[in-house]
Amino acid sequence: MNSTLNSRYAFLCAAAIFIASCGTATFTKTGSDATIESLRSFELAFIDQFAVPGKKFNATAFNAKVNEGNAKFQEAIANDQFTARRPVFVDLKAQFDADAAHLKSKATRGKITPALASEMKKDVNKIYDHALGR
Amino acid sequence: MPSAGKKKHKKPSRKKSELDSALDQVGDESVAAATKEFQDLLSEAKGDTSELIRQNAEEVERRLVLLKKRKIDKEDFDHFIENQKRDLRVFVDGQPAQAQERAEKLTLRILEIAAKVAIALI
Repeated sequence: MNSTLNSRYAFLCAAAIFIASCGTATFTKTGSDATIESLRSFELAFIDQFAVPGKKFNATAFNAKVNEGNAKFQEAIANDQFTARRPVFVDLKAQFDADAAHLKSKATRGKITPALASEMKKDVNKIYDHALGR
Repeated sequence: MPSAGKKKHKKPSRKKSELDSALDQVGDESVAAATKEFQDLLSEAKGDTSELIRQNAEEVERRLVLLKKRKIDKEDFDHFIENQKRDLRVFVDGQPAQAQERAEKLTLRILEIAAKVAIALI
């Protein structure tokens, strides 16, 4: 009788742990998705701020924003609980680095066009959608 | 996502696009072979069953037209090509072994030739 009860408790505990871990995984992925959306918003705002045709390049503001972005990406890479996503965050950081370098190169020479800003934002949205599995 | 290894069922439209017309005007013989290969691969990619392969083809075509119209310059074009390559490498590597060669031809190969064709367009 006791052994039957023990087996039943063991089974119920295992089931409870499994269900709890599924819930935690879902919660973790949701949190990770939110981090990706936050990084997307940051990068789109960064492009809106600096990919403006005819706008004089402000190196101080640009570097401050790049530093802010670097900190956000590093934090996401280091702290995201959904560890399978780490390589994705590394890829998104590489995209941000490439976009920042290109924007700086163009903006310092006054060579920003409306099409550049629009195409950059299309690429950002596409890569973030792919990062989210869409 | 449909596999890039599947044979295409839909014959792509051969109606001349804005890009085809621009490419027809390229007089440089040294890029004639690259231009022909590019047009053939682009046409095949645009009729592929994989949405990602079709989107990539449409994107590179749109950007070549923007380059031709001087809405973007060659530096911008190269930047976007690198973005597309970065994005597509994950897709190609994720394809089954037997489909990888075709997926690579219809994505990364197109982007490589596009860089050559772009020079002739400007």
